[in-house]
Amino acid sequence: MKHILIITMKGIFRDRVFQGIMVTACAFLLIPALASLSMRQVTELSLTLSLSLISFILLLLAVFLGGTSLWKDIERRYTFSVLGLPLSRQSYMIGRFCGTALFVLLASAVLGIAAFAVVSYSSAIYPADRPIVWSTMAVCILFDALKYILLIATAFLFSTVSTSFFLPVFGTIATFLAGGVTQQAYEFVNSPASKSLSPLVKKLAAILYFILPNFGAFDLKVNAIYGLPLPVDGLLLTAAYFVVYIGLLLSAAAVIFSRREMR
Amino acid sequence: MMRTVSIGMVCLLLYGILILPFTAYLKNKPFVEKLGYIPSVAALKIVAADHKELVAATLVLKVLMYFGGLLAKSDAQVTVPPDYMSMSRLLHGSVKLDPYNMDAYYFAQGFLTWDVKQYKLANDLLDYGMKYRTWDWYLPYFAGFNSAFFLKDYAAAAKYYQRAGELSGSELSRLLAGRFMQESGQTELALVYLSAMVRGERNPAVKKNYLVRLNAFKEARRIEVARDRYREIRGAVPVTVEQLVADGLLSPPPKDPYGGMFYLEADGKVATTSKFAFGGVTGNSSKKSGVPDERH
Repeated sequence: MKHILIITMKGIFRDRVFQGIMVTACAFLLIPALASLSMRQVTELSLTLSLSLISFILLLLAVFLGGTSLWKDIERRYTFSVLGLPLSRQSYMIGRFCGTALFVLLASAVLGIAAFAVVSYSSAIYPADRPIVWSTMAVCILFDALKYILLIATAFLFSTVSTSFFLPVFGTIATFLAGGVTQQAYEFVNSPASKSLSPLVKKLAAILYFILPNFGAFDLKVNAIYGLPLPVDGLLLTAAYFVVYIGLLLSAAAVIFSRREMR
Repeated sequence: MMRTVSIGMVCLLLYGILILPFTAYLKNKPFVEKLGYIPSVAALKIVAADHKELVAATLVLKVLMYFGGLLAKSDAQVTVPPDYMSMSRLLHGSVKLDPYNMDAYYFAQGFLTWDVKQYKLANDLLDYGMKYRTWDWYLPYFAGFNSAFFLKDYAAAAKYYQRAGELSGSELSRLLAGRFMQESGQTELALVYLSAMVRGERNPAVKKNYLVRLNAFKEARRIEVARDRYREIRGAVPVTVEQLVADGLLSPPPKDPYGGMFYLEADGKVATTSKFAFGGVTGNSSKKSGVPDERH
């Protein structure tokens, strides 16, 4: 599995994905100028733009690396030669996943450093009213990375059942959008405002809430931007949720992948 | 190969021909169209995913750019009435997405009060912001000013100023509550408020807007001082501003930067035909109507 992890990392670097990220990260250079358009919160705006840019790049990585990694191997018949070695299918898939997840962590660390530099520069020119809590910003980026690792696990699950890249890519995007609003939808169906909804719709919404990943808990941007205190208990729960949910997704993916018929 | 290069060259030529009228079309697009329409906040929340703060900031910048464009037009002697309703809608939408966004509260305070005269709406928005920005003294300071100056609700103003003073740690509350909580101090209150806004403003368009208003209030204050001096000397209230100028109490004659004419109401209060707004100049009939908020 370790070898697969290293091979995955090497493959991603060989495909010049990291260079692509660096080119996209050039957008960081524009952030101080854009943030200076704000009237009262230049530093907050530079934080908003930096964190959104990181989130956007990680989303692209999660969708395209996560959604195409397994499918590409099957399509190019790499799996035939690799799985001929003394290596279980599960180990192969988990290795692929860990390699991709590690790359996302590495990318978020590099982008995080760029964001720190940009925000430091902006706040030096226009001192912020609110103190910048660097540790909150780091935790925010870490949880963002965890969210996209969860999304990669979803993409891997889709890849194990799909014969083309459409389901992994578009299924992952749909999961990302749905996972961001499940909490709101759940709260809505349990509020008095949803009186007119039929009980069946309410039950369906509740089922979907428990099945779909809940990405809302991983979003700590508002805490990082405005220096709000982090909910420690909530973060521990979210971390536990991450471990358990990813365990479920990978177990399901491993079972399906081990039974999948390769042609 | 030559064929591909030729097609490329033709496309480049066509692009060169097209780009100028295309740019001119976008530049001359009506302002309301430029400000555009946004989907409901509920829909935006779904589409924005985890970028709600970014979408909120984008909406605020959109309004700011639009307003800056209008001021540029007014410099070129073209008066386009701002679409305040859309501006308000976008700013309200932005704080629903990011209730901490200070730019939205700050900008809404600027035009909802002076220009649109929606004082209650402005204070409701500020109250909403205070629930989130619990550290920020600006919001209660703005709400206090609105209560005292526009709504004449001095009890509410005192509460807001008290809160602003506690948060800022300055003598603000005592200063404002003690000095201006009376009808006679209204112009001075506006001068202090507007001077602070001009000092703290970086955006050129918004700063200019405040500066024009500050100058108008400075002129109103000059008339008030001359009026009080006249009353001391003559023992009677002057009837017109021209009387003050003729008696040498007001030199040079006051000039309303909004293009209106200053006049004195029957009770001696200073008012202007512009109502302290561009395009607010009306005929003599409006003179008598005297909107209370513009009298001093």
